[in-house]
Amino acid sequence: MSAAAPARRSFRAADLLSWWPAWLLFALVLCALFAPWLAPMDPDRQNLLARLKAPGFEARGAVYHLGSDELGRDVLSRLIYGARISLSVAVLSVLLSGVVGVTVGMAAGYLRGWTETVLMRLVDIFLSIPAILLAIITVAVLGPGFVNVILVLALTRWPRYARVAYGQTLAIAERPFVRLSRAMGASPARVIAVHILPNIVGPLLVVATLEFGLMVLFEAGLSFLGLGVQPPTASWGSMLSTGRNYLATAWWIATFPGLALFLLVLSANMIGDRLSDRIGKG
Amino acid sequence: MKHTMRALLTGAALAVFALPAFAKDLTVDLAGEPSSLDPQVQWNPDSYYVYRNIFDNLVTRSNEGEIVPEIATEWEQVSDNELVLTIRDGVTFHDGSALTPEDVVFSVKRITDPAFASPQLGQFNQITGAEVMEGNKVKLTTNGPYPALLAQLVKLSIVPKAVVEEVGDEAFNAAPVGSGPYKFESWDRGVSVTLTKNADYWGEEGPFDAAIFRAVPDAATRVADLQAGAADLVVSIDSDAAAQLQNNPSVKVLSAPTERVAYLGLNLDIPPFNNLDMRKAASLAIDRQGIIDGLLQAGEQPVAQLASPAHFGYAEDIAPFEYDPEQAAEIVKAHPDLAATPVSFGTAPVFDQRVVQALQQMLNDVGFNVEISMTDMPTYLAAARAEDRAQRPGASFGRWSCACQDADGIAYPLLKSDSSWSRVNDPKIDELLEKARVSLDEQVRKDAYAEVAQIVRDQYYVLPIYQAAVLYGASAKLGFEPTANESMFLNRMTWEE
Amino acid sequence: MLRFLLHRGGQALVAAFGVVTLVFFIQRLTGDPTALLLPETATQADIEAMRSALGLDRALWVQYVDFLWDMARFDLGRSFVQNADVWDIILSRLPRTLQLAAGALCVALLIGLPLGLIMALARERAVSRWIMGAVLAFQSMPTFWSGIMMILVFGVWLQWLPPSGTGSLAHLVMPSIALGLLSLATYARITRASVIDELLRDYVRSARARGVGTGRLVRKHLLRNALIPIISITALELSQLLAGAVIVETVFAWPGLGLLTVQSIASRDFLVVQAVVLLGAFVTIGANLAADILYSVVDPRVRLGAKA
Repeated sequence: MSAAAPARRSFRAADLLSWWPAWLLFALVLCALFAPWLAPMDPDRQNLLARLKAPGFEARGAVYHLGSDELGRDVLSRLIYGARISLSVAVLSVLLSGVVGVTVGMAAGYLRGWTETVLMRLVDIFLSIPAILLAIITVAVLGPGFVNVILVLALTRWPRYARVAYGQTLAIAERPFVRLSRAMGASPARVIAVHILPNIVGPLLVVATLEFGLMVLFEAGLSFLGLGVQPPTASWGSMLSTGRNYLATAWWIATFPGLALFLLVLSANMIGDRLSDRIGKG
Repeated sequence: MKHTMRALLTGAALAVFALPAFAKDLTVDLAGEPSSLDPQVQWNPDSYYVYRNIFDNLVTRSNEGEIVPEIATEWEQVSDNELVLTIRDGVTFHDGSALTPEDVVFSVKRITDPAFASPQLGQFNQITGAEVMEGNKVKLTTNGPYPALLAQLVKLSIVPKAVVEEVGDEAFNAAPVGSGPYKFESWDRGVSVTLTKNADYWGEEGPFDAAIFRAVPDAATRVADLQAGAADLVVSIDSDAAAQLQNNPSVKVLSAPTERVAYLGLNLDIPPFNNLDMRKAASLAIDRQGIIDGLLQAGEQPVAQLASPAHFGYAEDIAPFEYDPEQAAEIVKAHPDLAATPVSFGTAPVFDQRVVQALQQMLNDVGFNVEISMTDMPTYLAAARAEDRAQRPGASFGRWSCACQDADGIAYPLLKSDSSWSRVNDPKIDELLEKARVSLDEQVRKDAYAEVAQIVRDQYYVLPIYQAAVLYGASAKLGFEPTANESMFLNRMTWEE
Repeated sequence: MLRFLLHRGGQALVAAFGVVTLVFFIQRLTGDPTALLLPETATQADIEAMRSALGLDRALWVQYVDFLWDMARFDLGRSFVQNADVWDIILSRLPRTLQLAAGALCVALLIGLPLGLIMALARERAVSRWIMGAVLAFQSMPTFWSGIMMILVFGVWLQWLPPSGTGSLAHLVMPSIALGLLSLATYARITRASVIDELLRDYVRSARARGVGTGRLVRKHLLRNALIPIISITALELSQLLAGAVIVETVFAWPGLGLLTVQSIASRDFLVVQAVVLLGAFVTIGANLAADILYSVVDPRVRLGAKA
C-alpha cells in the first residue's frame, strides 16, 4: 500500500559516500571507544591559571588544540570523552525505552480486551506527565547520575514506542497467517515473538533512529536544567549548556561540542529518514 | 556601509513592530518573579528588591552599612528588654493617609502573630509586645535581652493598618500600599511588576518616573538584554558573564563585597570528616586565593571565620588558613581507610558550579574521594537538613546570609548543636552562643564570637573560604552603589543622559 | 459511534484521574515548599510551624481526600509560593502559552508544508535531498543553544527584535521560530510521505493523463487528501508543543505554562504543579482521543472511493 520498493542497484563508490551519516556515526563510536588513547589530556584536569584560553594555547608544555574551558580543562579531550557519555546515554535509553514500549504495545495490540485498555491508558498517563517533573522526581528519589539520566529518558519516551508497536500489531494481528498460527494453538508469547515482532521491526527501527537523535538532544536539555550527568564528567550536552554562557568571550567552549552534537543528531536523523524511505512510512 | 544597512534594517524593523520606549524608566531584570509584594509575607531577594522600594522600614542601613533612621528617627534601650522608638512625623502612605505609631504597632503585631504564619516569623519572634506611647513613640518588648533586635528591625516594613484591615491580606498582596519612594502601579503575573514615583515622598526622591522589574530566568538572556539596551540593570551574574560586558562602552559592571561567607560544610558525624586530621587536610588542600584570583575576580576576600568584616562580631585576630597541598596529601596518606571513603558533595544549580568543581578537584588532588551530587534545590535542602545527621551529604558548599550583619545570624544556625543546619556538637560553642545572644554588652558579645571563631578555626568544624562579592550589570548611565546586604534602593540611584 | 465516544471519553477521564493521583503522590516524595519559603536561618520549629500553617503536616490520605473534594468543586486552591489563587495564575499563563504554540505551529506549518510538497514533487531530484538535509538540520540543534544564538544575533547585534520578554508581536517572533523548528521537520516529512502516497494513486495518474496541470492537481486533490494525516499529527504535535516549551520559555523569559511548570516543581508549589499537570493531561489525552477518532472515522480510502 505504500511506496514501491526501491530499485536494487549495484554498489558503487557514490553509494558508500552517500552513506556518510553512517560513516560519521561509526567514527564517533570509535572515538568514544578509544577515548583514553585519543585524548591528549585528562578531560577533568583543571588549571585555574589557564582558563578560557583560545585554541592553540600552550601551558606547561601541553597544547590546548581546541582551547580550554571555564575551569582550564582541555576542550578537545572533553569532547572526545564526552562522545562516550552522549552516545551511551542515547543508545542505552533508546534500548531501554524501546524494549519496554514495544513489549507493552505488542501486548496491548495482540491481547486486546482489558489488557489493551489498561496498558494504553497507562501510556496516556505517562504521556501526560511533564518530562521535567519525571526528571526532577527521579533525580530526587534515586539520586543523580549517569544511570538515572538513562532511566529518566526511558521513563519519558517508552510510550512513543508503545503507540507505534500497538498500531502496527493491530494491523498484523488480523493477517491470515497470524490467525492460522493462533488457531493451531500457539501461545501468545510465541505468536508475538515469531510472527508479529519480525513484521513490525521495520517501522520501529525508524522510530528508534529518530529517537536516538532526540535522546542526544534531551540529554543536553537535562544538562541545561541541571539534571544531567554529574559534573565534572563531560557530555556534549553539559559542555554546550555551560559554554553557551561564554559565547562572547570564549566561543570555542560551546562551538565544538555544539558542532559534534549537531552532526551526531543530523546523521541519526538522516539515517532514520533513509530507513523510513526503504522500509515504508515511520 | 554595514552600519548603514543595519540602521536601515533596524528602522524597517522598528516601523513594523512598535518597540516600547525606555524614556526615564528603569528596567531591571531579576532572575525570578517576586513571590509576594506584601513585605511581611515571604522574604526572598526577588521579592525584596521590589517591595523594599514600596515600603519604608523602621530603620535602614546606609550604603556604608551603618544602621540609620528611616521611619524611626531615634531609639533608646530603656531596659534590658525594652526599646523605645520615636516615629517620624509627616510620613504619608500612598493612599494619602498619615503613617502613625498605630501602624507601626500593627505591623509588628501582624508579623509576630503565629496565626499569620509569616515565613519571617523566626526573625521577629523574640518580640513579645508592641505598644503606642505618648509623644509619637512606640515601645517594643522582647522576651529577654536581645542585642540583634535593631539589626532585625532593618527588615521590618511598615504597612498601613487601615488598608490591610479593610481589604484583607490577599488583596493587599495583590495591590500593596506603602509609604516608600515608589508606588505600586501594576503586576502582570509572570512578566513584570511596575512601580511609579511617589512625588510626595518625605525623603530623597528617585530619579526615575517608573521602574519595571522583569523576571528573566536565564542568566545569558539577562546579559543579552542589558547589551541590547532592553534592560538597565541585571542581577545574579557571575564574573565570567561580567567579563562579556567589558568591551561594551554602553554598559558596566558593578560589584561590592557582601555579608555572605562562602564555606565548605563538612559532615562531622561520618567518615572521613569525623576525623580532625582529615578536616585539617581538607582545609590545607583548598587554594582560597587561587579560587579568588583564578575564578571569581570580583573583590572577594579569603576568610578564616564565618563572619565577614561587614558583620558585628567579626573577630580581627583569627589567623588565615594555610594552603599546603603537600602536607595535606601526607596527612591523607596516613589515613588510607578514611581517604578511600567516598564523600558525597551535595549541591544544587544555584551554587556557583565552577567553585564546586574546583573544590572537588582540590580535595581529590590530595587523595580524597569526593563525588559531586547535584539535585534541585528542595532536594538538596531536604538532604542537607536531614533529621539524621549521618544521612546528610559528606560535604556541601554554601554562601550564608542572614541579611542582618550580626554574627548571631550566622553562628547560631550553623554552629549551635540543636539548629537545623548545624553539623557541630560542641557544648563550649553552645554556651558561648547563648551568652552572646542575650547580652547587651557589646564587648561581651564580641569576645564570645571571637572565642567561637577560634574554636571553629582550631577544630576545622566548618571551612570558611571567602567573603563573597555581588555583581550587577548596569547601563553606563546608571549610578548605583551596591551594598553589603544586596539592597536595591531606587531612590539612592542616579541617571545621567 | 456514540458508544465509542462515551467509552473512550470515560477512559480518558480515568487516565486524567490517574495522572493527577500519581503526580499528587510522587511530588510529595521529595521535600516540600517550606524549604524555600523560609529564610536560611529558620529553625526546625519554624519549619514545623510553616508546614502546619500550610496543612502539609496532615496525613497524606487526608490531604488527598481534601484535594479530590476541592477538585470536585473546581477549586484549585491557593499557591503556597506565589500567594495567589491557582486559577488566576493558570489563567494569566494560558494565553501566553497559546500564543507561543500558535506561533510555533504557524512556523512549522507555513514552512514545513510547502517544503514537504516540494520534496514530494521533486523527489527524484537533488533539490529534494538538500531540502531534507536543511529540514533535518533545524531539528538537530538544542533549543537552549539556537535560542541564545538568535538572541545574540537578532536581539543584541542587529537589534531587530527584542531579546526577551513579552509585550508585542515582535517579542513572539524568536520564541516561535525556536519552538517551531522542532516540529517543522515532522510536518515536512509527513507532507512529503503522504503526497508521494497520493501521487502514486490511480486518480492522480488518470488526472495527469487527462492533462491536468501540476498546480491544479496540487490544489484540487493532493493537498486535500494529504491533509488528513497532517491534521491528526497536529493534534499530537500541539500537546508536544505545550509541553516542549519549557526550555524555549526559560531562554526567552516567556511566561507560559512550561516555565510555570519548571518553577513550580522547583519550589514544590504542589497545588500549581497539580493544576498544570491536570490541564496538560486533558490536552494530551484529548488530543490522542481526537487523533484516534480521526483515524477511525475518516478513512482516507473511503473518501477517495466516493470521489473517484
